Amino acid sequence: MAPVRPNPFIPFTARLKDSIELTPDVKLLRVELEDETVRNNLSYQPGQFAFVSAFGVGESPFGIASVAYQKDGLEFAIRRVGTVTNALHELEPGAIVGVRGPFGNYFPLDEYKGKNIVIIGGGIGMAPLRPVIRTILDNRQQYGQLTTIIGARSPSDLVFVNEYESWAKQPDSRLELTVDRGDANWKGRVALIPAVIKELQLSPDNAVAIICGPPIMIRFVLVELKALGFAPRQIVTTLEAKMKCGLGKCARCNVGEKYICQDGPVFRLDQITTFLEQF
Amino acid sequence: MVKFIQKTDLLAWLEGIMRERTLVAPVKEEGVTRFRPVEKVADIVMDSGSTDLSAKDWFFPPSEVLFTMSKVDGQAVITPTTMAKEAVLFGLHPCDAQGIALMDLPFLAEPTDTIYAEKREKTTLVGLACRQACPECFCTSFGSSPFDSAGLDVLLIESGEGYIVQSTTPKGQKLLDSAKVTEANVEMPQPPAVNSVPIEGLVEIAPKLFNDAFWNRLADRCIHCNMCADVCPACYCFDIRDYTGKGGLVERVRTWESCQASGFTRIAGGYTPRPTKGARLRQRFYHKFLYMPKQLGKIGCTGCGRCVRVCPVNIDIREIITTMQKSGAKIGAGSS
Amino acid sequence: MDSTKIIKDKARELLASKKVECVMGFERATDGKTARPLFAYTPEETERFIYDQTCVHNLAKFLLNWKDKTTAIIAKPCDVRSINMLIQEQQIKREKIYIIGVVCSGMAECSWNRVGPTQERCTTCPQHNPPIYDFLVGELVAEKEPAASINPKVADLLAKPPAERRAFWNEQFSHCIRCYACRQACPGCYCTECFVDQLDPQWVGIRHSPADNHMWNTVRAFHLAGRCTQCGECQRVCPVNIPLMLVNDELTKEVGDKFAFQPGMDASTLPPFATFKKDEHLGIG
Repeated sequence: MAPVRPNPFIPFTARLKDSIELTPDVKLLRVELEDETVRNNLSYQPGQFAFVSAFGVGESPFGIASVAYQKDGLEFAIRRVGTVTNALHELEPGAIVGVRGPFGNYFPLDEYKGKNIVIIGGGIGMAPLRPVIRTILDNRQQYGQLTTIIGARSPSDLVFVNEYESWAKQPDSRLELTVDRGDANWKGRVALIPAVIKELQLSPDNAVAIICGPPIMIRFVLVELKALGFAPRQIVTTLEAKMKCGLGKCARCNVGEKYICQDGPVFRLDQITTFLEQF
Repeated sequence: MVKFIQKTDLLAWLEGIMRERTLVAPVKEEGVTRFRPVEKVADIVMDSGSTDLSAKDWFFPPSEVLFTMSKVDGQAVITPTTMAKEAVLFGLHPCDAQGIALMDLPFLAEPTDTIYAEKREKTTLVGLACRQACPECFCTSFGSSPFDSAGLDVLLIESGEGYIVQSTTPKGQKLLDSAKVTEANVEMPQPPAVNSVPIEGLVEIAPKLFNDAFWNRLADRCIHCNMCADVCPACYCFDIRDYTGKGGLVERVRTWESCQASGFTRIAGGYTPRPTKGARLRQRFYHKFLYMPKQLGKIGCTGCGRCVRVCPVNIDIREIITTMQKSGAKIGAGSS
Repeated sequence: MDSTKIIKDKARELLASKKVECVMGFERATDGKTARPLFAYTPEETERFIYDQTCVHNLAKFLLNWKDKTTAIIAKPCDVRSINMLIQEQQIKREKIYIIGVVCSGMAECSWNRVGPTQERCTTCPQHNPPIYDFLVGELVAEKEPAASINPKVADLLAKPPAERRAFWNEQFSHCIRCYACRQACPGCYCTECFVDQLDPQWVGIRHSPADNHMWNTVRAFHLAGRCTQCGECQRVCPVNIPLMLVNDELTKEVGDKFAFQPGMDASTLPPFATFKKDEHLGIG
C-alpha cells in the first residue's frame, strides 16, 4: 500500500504526462506523482481505485488502469460524463492534478493462479480489467486459459484498441470482440455480450469470471453464466457507487454493512447476494 | 461528601478558560439553542435542556474547509486546516456525549480523519447532567441516562446553589485545576425518569422487514428535508466539494449531507441505486439500527429525541422502533 | 359543523367508489396535540382523519409525487392556491385531483407538543375561501379587503434604511445551516436540479459563508416571486427560525403592486414573469 499522508483528505500532487483519446468520450490520462519518495513507494493492485482531483472543480474516484510494477505513472481511463471528468479532459500535459489513494480491495489474482480466467468487460468497464489482463499476460505460466470478451455500444466506443492485438496473440489466450451495433467499417461480431457468452459455451471447470460494465450488462451476463454452471463463488465483479471520501466515513457508498470504498469495490457474487439492497 | 462548585465559581472558571481557549457553549439565536464559541459567559444558556442543534456541530460543523490549494510559481501548495487554540465544549448533555462517541467510530478509524482527531484531542468536554427529561427523549434505551458521564471529561450535576463535579478523565481533572472545587455535603439529586423504548432484537428483526411496504408508506409523507440528520448528534454523512474563490484559491469543503437527499447515491451517468423515497427513508433507519451495529458495534442512535421534535411531518423514530418490534416478521400495510 | 366527520365521510365515499386512489389529509401526531399528513388508500383508513387548526401542512407538494394517480386532497385556501399554481405551471393535471376545499379562519402556530395562538400570516390572510374546489367543507364567507392583507412586518422592515435592513438579513442568514428544508417544504420548489446543487456553473458556494447563505436565500425568494402562495411552510420548517416569509411577502407585495397579480387564484392566468407586454410599465426611469 502506498504511504498515506497524515491527513487522508489531502491528495498527492501529480503532473499530467499524457492525455490520449481512446474514444470520442474516453481519454487515457497518465499522471506522475510529484513527490519522488511517494512515487517510488507507490504500490497498488488490479481492482483498486484512486481519486483524481481537478483542483477547484472537484474530485472523483477512478479505477486504476495501469499496473504498479511498470512504474510508469498512474493511468486512468476517464469517460467524460460530468463536471469533474469534463475538467480532466480539458487538461493539457503539464497540468497539476491531485491523486488520493490507492483505495479499496483488489482482485485476488494470487488465488486465481492455475485457474482458467474469463474476463468480461463492457465499455469503460474495461478500465479496471486492463491491469488484470496485463498482470496475467506478464505472468502467463501461472494462469490457465484466458478468455477475454470485450464489448461496447459501437466500434468507436471500444477502449484500449491498440492493445488488442498483443492480448489476442498470447499463448492460450483468446480475445472476443463484440459491439451492440456496427458501423460502415466494422467487420466483426455484432451482438450483446450475454449472447457471446452463450455462443462460446464457456466452461465453468476450474474457472473464475471477472466482470465489469454497466449494471444492466452485468445483470444479463450473470444469467448466462449461471446457465452455464458458474457458481456464485466463481464470479467476481467490481461495484460502482457514489463516493466522496474513500475512507469509509462519509457513508455515501454504504450498502448494508459494507462500504464499497473499503470492503470493495471488488466483490464475489456470493457476497453481493447477501446485500439487502442491489447496488 | 462530594466534589462541588458554586455557580458563581463555575462562571468564573469558564471566564478563565475563555482567556486561553475557545469556549463553545449553548447560546440562543432567534429562539434556537445551538453550540457556538462565546465571547461572554453571560451569553451561555445554562438551562438549555436539549439544544435544538446538537453538540456535534463543534467537531463536525455544517461546513468546514478541509484544505486550501493555491498555485505558487507553478507549484501546487496545499494547506490543511488546523486548529489553532485548544477548546472547551461546555453544556452538552449525556446524549450528545454519546453522539460524539458514536461519531468517533467512523472518523477515528483508520485511516483517521486527522482534522476531526485534532479537534477531539484539543477539546475538553464539560457536560451537564439532565435534571429534567424531555418528554420525547429516550436515552436509557441505549444504555445511557440523564446522569451518565460516559464520553465526557467532566460532568456537572446541578444541585442547590451549584453543581456536583465528577471528573472522569485525566483531561477533565487537569481542566478542573483552575476551578474552585470544594468538598461539600450536598445531596445527590434523583435523575429524572425517561420514557425508554425497548430495542431488544431490533438488529435481528430489521433484515426481515427490509422489503416491507411499511417504508414506502412512511415515505409518503417524508419531504426529505434532511432536518432529522442535521439535528442528530450521531448522523455523520457528508459531502465534499471544491470551491474556487478570489485569486484562484481553491477550497475543498466538507458539508453535511444526508442519505435523504435525492442525489445521495446518484453516480456519473445518472444511475441512482436508491431511487425511491421509501428506499432513502429506510436507509436512515437501517444505517442506524442494522448496518452500524454490524459494522461498528453500536446502534447509531442516542435517544436524544431531536428528530422527533423537528420533523415537520412527524416521522417519529420511537414509533418506528416500536412498530418494528411489534411486527416481529410482518408489518401490515394499514399502519403509517 | 364537524369538519372531521364531513371529511371522513367524503373520503370514505371517494375511496369506496374508487373515484380516487388516495386521499391526502391529516391525522393526529404522536405528541397527541399536533397533526401530521395521512395518505389513506382504503375506506377503513379514513377513520384516522382529523381536521382542526393544527392541520397546518400544505399537502399540495405531495401531489407532485402522484402525477399519474387520481388523488383527493384536503386543502386550505392557501394550499388550493399552491395547487392552482402547480396546475398553471403544468406540473399536475386538474382532472387527476379532487379538491376537498376547506373554508379557513386561521391555523394555529404548531410545533412539537405545542399548539400556540393563531399564526401571524393568518391574521392578515386575504383568502378564507378556497379559490376552487370539488367539494366544500364549511360555508363561504365574505373576504377581507386586499389592502388589509399586507403583512405589517413587511411595512415595518421596508421603513428602515437599507443599511439596517442589510445588517438584519446578514444576521439572520448567518444562522442558516443550508439544510434546504425550506426548499423541500415549498410547493413552488420542484426543479429536478436546484440551482444550489449545480456544479457547472457553481452558482452558490457550498461553504456556509455570509455571502453564500445570502445568495441561497435571496435567489430562492426571487425564483418564487410572483409564484409564492404564502403558505408559510418554509418558515414553519426552518430549524433556525429565519423569518423567511418576510422576504417572500415583500416580493409578493411588489408583484401585487406592479402587476396587480395574486398567484394561485386560478389555474389559467399567466404569472407576470411568464408574460410580456410591450406597453408594460416597469417603474424604471
